[in-house]
Amino acid sequence: MSDGPLIVQSDKTLLLEVDHDQADACRRAIAPFADLERAPEHVHTYRLTPLGLWNARAAGHDAEQVVDVLLEYSRYPVPHALLVDVAETMARYGRLQLVQHPTHGLVLHALDPAVLAEVVRSKRTAGLLGARLDETDVVVHPSERGHLKQVLLKLGWPAEDLAGYVDGEAHAISLEQDGWSMRPYQQQAVDGFWHGGSGVVVLPCGAGKTIVGAGAMAKSSTTTLILVTNTVSARQWRDELVRRTTLTEDEIGEYSGARKEIRPVTIATYQVLTTKRKGVYSHLELLDARDWGLVVYDEVHLLPAPIFRMTADLQARRRLGLTATLVREDGREDEVFSLIGPKRFDAPWKDIEAQGYIAPAECVEVRLTLPDHDRMAYATAEPEEKYRLAATASGKNRVVERLVAKHAGEPTLVIGQYLDQLHELAEHLDADLITGETTVRERQRLFDAFRTGEISKLVVSKVANFSIDLPEASVAIQVSGSFGSRQEEAQRLGRIMRPKQTGRTAHFYTVVARDTVDQEFAAHRQRFLAEQGYSYTIVDAEDLEVA
Amino acid sequence: MSTFTAYLRSRPDDELVALLQARSDLASPAPGNVSSLGVRATSRASLERALAGVDAGVLQVVEAVVALGPDVDLRAAIARDADDLPLVDAALAQAVTLALVWSDDDDGRHAAPGLAELLGPYPAGLAPAVAAPRDVDLSVLADAPRGAEAILDALTWGPPVGVAPAAAAGAIDWLVRHHLLTRTDARHVLLPRAVALRLREGRSHPAASRPPAPLIATRASATVDAESAAAGEHLVRLVARLLRTWEQTPPGVLRAGGLGVRELRRVVQTLDVDERLAALVVEVAGAAGLVADDGDEQPSFVPTVAFDEWSALPLPQRWARLAAAWLASPRAAWLVGTRDDGGGVRAALDPELVRPWAARLRRSVLESVAGLPHGAAPDDDAVRDLLAWRTPRAVPPASAVAAVLQEAGALGVLGAGALGGAGRALLSSADDAATAFDAALPPAVDEILLQGDLTGIVPGRPSDELDDLVERTAHVESRGGAVTVRFSADSVRPAFDAGATADSLLADLAVHARGPVPQPLEYLVRDAARTHGRLRTGSASSYLRADDPTLLAGLADDPRLSGLGLFALAPTVLASPAPARELLDTLRAHGLAPVAETPDGHVVHLAPQVRRVVRRDRRGRPRTAEEPAAPDLATVVARLRTPESTPRAAPAPVSTSGPAPRGTDQPGDALVLLREAAENRTQVWVELVGPTGRPEERLVRPLRVDGGRLRAVDARRESELSVAVHRIASVRPYDPTTEESA
Repeated sequence: MSDGPLIVQSDKTLLLEVDHDQADACRRAIAPFADLERAPEHVHTYRLTPLGLWNARAAGHDAEQVVDVLLEYSRYPVPHALLVDVAETMARYGRLQLVQHPTHGLVLHALDPAVLAEVVRSKRTAGLLGARLDETDVVVHPSERGHLKQVLLKLGWPAEDLAGYVDGEAHAISLEQDGWSMRPYQQQAVDGFWHGGSGVVVLPCGAGKTIVGAGAMAKSSTTTLILVTNTVSARQWRDELVRRTTLTEDEIGEYSGARKEIRPVTIATYQVLTTKRKGVYSHLELLDARDWGLVVYDEVHLLPAPIFRMTADLQARRRLGLTATLVREDGREDEVFSLIGPKRFDAPWKDIEAQGYIAPAECVEVRLTLPDHDRMAYATAEPEEKYRLAATASGKNRVVERLVAKHAGEPTLVIGQYLDQLHELAEHLDADLITGETTVRERQRLFDAFRTGEISKLVVSKVANFSIDLPEASVAIQVSGSFGSRQEEAQRLGRIMRPKQTGRTAHFYTVVARDTVDQEFAAHRQRFLAEQGYSYTIVDAEDLEVA
Repeated sequence: MSTFTAYLRSRPDDELVALLQARSDLASPAPGNVSSLGVRATSRASLERALAGVDAGVLQVVEAVVALGPDVDLRAAIARDADDLPLVDAALAQAVTLALVWSDDDDGRHAAPGLAELLGPYPAGLAPAVAAPRDVDLSVLADAPRGAEAILDALTWGPPVGVAPAAAAGAIDWLVRHHLLTRTDARHVLLPRAVALRLREGRSHPAASRPPAPLIATRASATVDAESAAAGEHLVRLVARLLRTWEQTPPGVLRAGGLGVRELRRVVQTLDVDERLAALVVEVAGAAGLVADDGDEQPSFVPTVAFDEWSALPLPQRWARLAAAWLASPRAAWLVGTRDDGGGVRAALDPELVRPWAARLRRSVLESVAGLPHGAAPDDDAVRDLLAWRTPRAVPPASAVAAVLQEAGALGVLGAGALGGAGRALLSSADDAATAFDAALPPAVDEILLQGDLTGIVPGRPSDELDDLVERTAHVESRGGAVTVRFSADSVRPAFDAGATADSLLADLAVHARGPVPQPLEYLVRDAARTHGRLRTGSASSYLRADDPTLLAGLADDPRLSGLGLFALAPTVLASPAPARELLDTLRAHGLAPVAETPDGHVVHLAPQVRRVVRRDRRGRPRTAEEPAAPDLATVVARLRTPESTPRAAPAPVSTSGPAPRGTDQPGDALVLLREAAENRTQVWVELVGPTGRPEERLVRPLRVDGGRLRAVDARRESELSVAVHRIASVRPYDPTTEESA
């Protein structure tokens, strides 16, 4: 029995003790094939999944290496069945290959005719495959390349995509590193992505995902289509690209509800792409408007379903997905991986924090005991009304007031879900309010005022969940959210995680009504961050008042 | 010429002890004397049993002796080369130990009487001897037509009978013409014994049989021990959890005496395992005597007192008890859930699941794995091949072998498919197994890493104390090399239910935690403690309510009503442990005027209660099969040596030619004499009781004793007779030297 840092469980989880001397070496060794599931303070949990093992195969690792790593670092004997399973799973990858045939175009080639026979007979591949050329080859409709790969993955015979990517229209882009330089992890992310061809990069909020995008564009030096969540975010991308790269304003187009520009680098919103007119997507031509060499998906965890389908048609182009929180309450993470590509880089939040690139944050859950009349109203409310009742409990206003007073002078965001509650709070706190109804111009104005320190308090609705760059915000108070959304919680924390010039700690408060579904949802929402190592301190609202 | 019985009598004690040890059916019940030992050892059932237990090598020796007769040179008949010689010698020694083969005064080898009949018509694949075999001339084969040699090749090593292929009619005709083959009927041909022996160069077998040596994967011994310890610990945990559940909610016993399908499904849910493992857990608990039918009118399966004793043992002993019980259990647990001939589903703990061979099969499966190099993990087929060699006369069904291997894996007797130290030790004794299991267990860890996300990890096998704490306070997410748990308000509540306080719980956690207890966990525990017990329950059988509190005010303290035990729940409600009927009657007797009401407040008028009883038969308690205590074999043998009881004086013979009085009227001894006579083709005097009850003595040559009948030739009357053995009153050997021949 060695004294390794890793414990391999028969349910295919790997437990890594982080305080161990060999923990770092072990982490590096298992990262290519195991997915990090939880990263709290003492023991990180990784999981072996077929997808992870196949991605490792795609990246050139074989089963023997995986087994060796497990045996080398494991503290206890590794369950034999697990080793067998690893070998068998990895052996399934690459029995089928997608290749370019000189005369027939895209072809599915089998190294094992029996596998091809099984796949061709499957109902799921109907309509995706064309003529059977011989025992080992069958023509694939080029437009179904992505869809077929997805289906093959579900059938358990993932194809090795050797058909390559189109080069795209060349366009010179390079980084202008004057007065700044790429951080090591950003460089690793860009390299990891480029080596793999396509894929997803997972970095914490505020860790500079835009720079990774810019780095990938510089590597590619082709025309690029960037898909983002909203117009404000589109403008932030544009500003950042102008600042960090040789691109000028004229080379960057915005394709949104307001403007429809197609330039060598075009930034479009998901919303405009998914807008239907008379039952058809009227802006699909954007995808073919130029010979894009790279497609960047910002906040890939929000990718709407129609974009999944459109992405399936873009398999010949390089695709880069960026996100901080690849958790979807709809469980479609796998589709993101199979359509955009496997995870190419992932850094635990706490690691980046330790390197000083994001601000340390203190998370506090404030529990508010409801007054008796509210509790009675809650106890007898219809189930569908309960969350709203609890989340908008009037007592929360006073708690927020206390918290704002405690951090007086620090740039503070108050974030909530329900507009009535937000209006009330804005009035209560004498702060400006930004909701979906606020015009883009007004939003920009308020954000600018907040950035310059002109105003120190803002009440915002869920429009501020993502991609809003407010570097100096250091306090966030969450009064309500969309039920138990884990990624919303993480994104909201992300709003205050840009490193502060004074190096101070960010504070994230979430105000919760005790003994209600609000408390249950809060527990669920906190799971992602808790698993990333953010430990919530729980305090009673009453104690807060005393302090 | 000596007889089998005489041979036995001449054996030294230690050989007889070895015989009784090797063939336990002979020792229990203890035979009275050597003659009856001889009878028992040559009975068909005992011989079958002995043959079923021998390996292919011993079977070869027995076949060779039967086929080639007393003068056989076994080494020449079986061994192909010098390497085979030790195998043949060992097989012969084994056959002699088992008294399947014995040697006479002239060193001739004989099979035990009655053995030949069990080997079928063609022992060693040779046709029976004929009276006057022709000389065989193989030189003619040089001119044989095509196909003739192939036919001979096919029949040489037996069986000697074949269907004549129509295509080779010419070749067969030629072979028959040259006396190398005979026709038995229109379609079948037979290779004569003499021809076969010439073709085999006098041998009975092509080579000594060796155990199969399939390619078998091997596992590192650390892996084997770790996995068998993990599986064993898991099983012990499951058994404990099952019985902890059943001690509170015992499941009913089916009328046929088993656990119903629905109850088994409940076990599946409780234990979170598949149905097969659930059935095994139930069966192992039953085999270890930890659970039994309580024999009530509505019978249920309830943990026995042995369970408390078992629970108090350390883990290795707990495991060893279960594993030993499994090994010795005569029950085929793997049949649970399958359907019997009547189409009914076989239930766990069903008395019908007893299969006497199950224990033997388990042992022989484990022994055959134990015979392989350490760490060998044979698959089902390899084990079955090994068993087919070890006991060619009783090859177990493939499904049973697979099931036993699977059970052994679930019990941790096998780990990663190979026999670990504990499994190997189990074959000798449960105590050794416990010691070996203890050695295989990873060292216990007394530390838990508590984390801010409300999870905890025990980085190894938790100590008993820590395991108990974890079970009480957390939800276990995975077990293996380490244990991962998650704390929630639900998971800590049972601890409070059992009387813990927030402080005591946090103190317990702090003792085991590396570092301080994280604040969220501490908050969780305190918050759960705060909400615990805000609702109160109690028991009462009836209540008394009134809208006017003054009506109730005096009743609770009224000494005349103290028998009702009235207590106030609220100013307008009193409760009582007495039934509503009694409450009503007592209050009325004291001049009050209550009425009874339904839960929704309607007034009801209670009718007087009348009683009936259903008559039902008491069901019998299930029998528990107890292994008879092993007899002290040396004592048994010593008793065999006591002088045999002199046979009663034979009744006056009817025949005038009175034979010497040296026979027996003991039925068992009589059978030996008859079998020996049949074997040696000698004559005996038998005294038969005719249909009228008159005894009659006849001189006969027994042919066969089989199925309770004697077939014999009466040379004097030139007839064959067949009589039931119970009509034979006595048997005496016929001595041609002193007696006048018939």
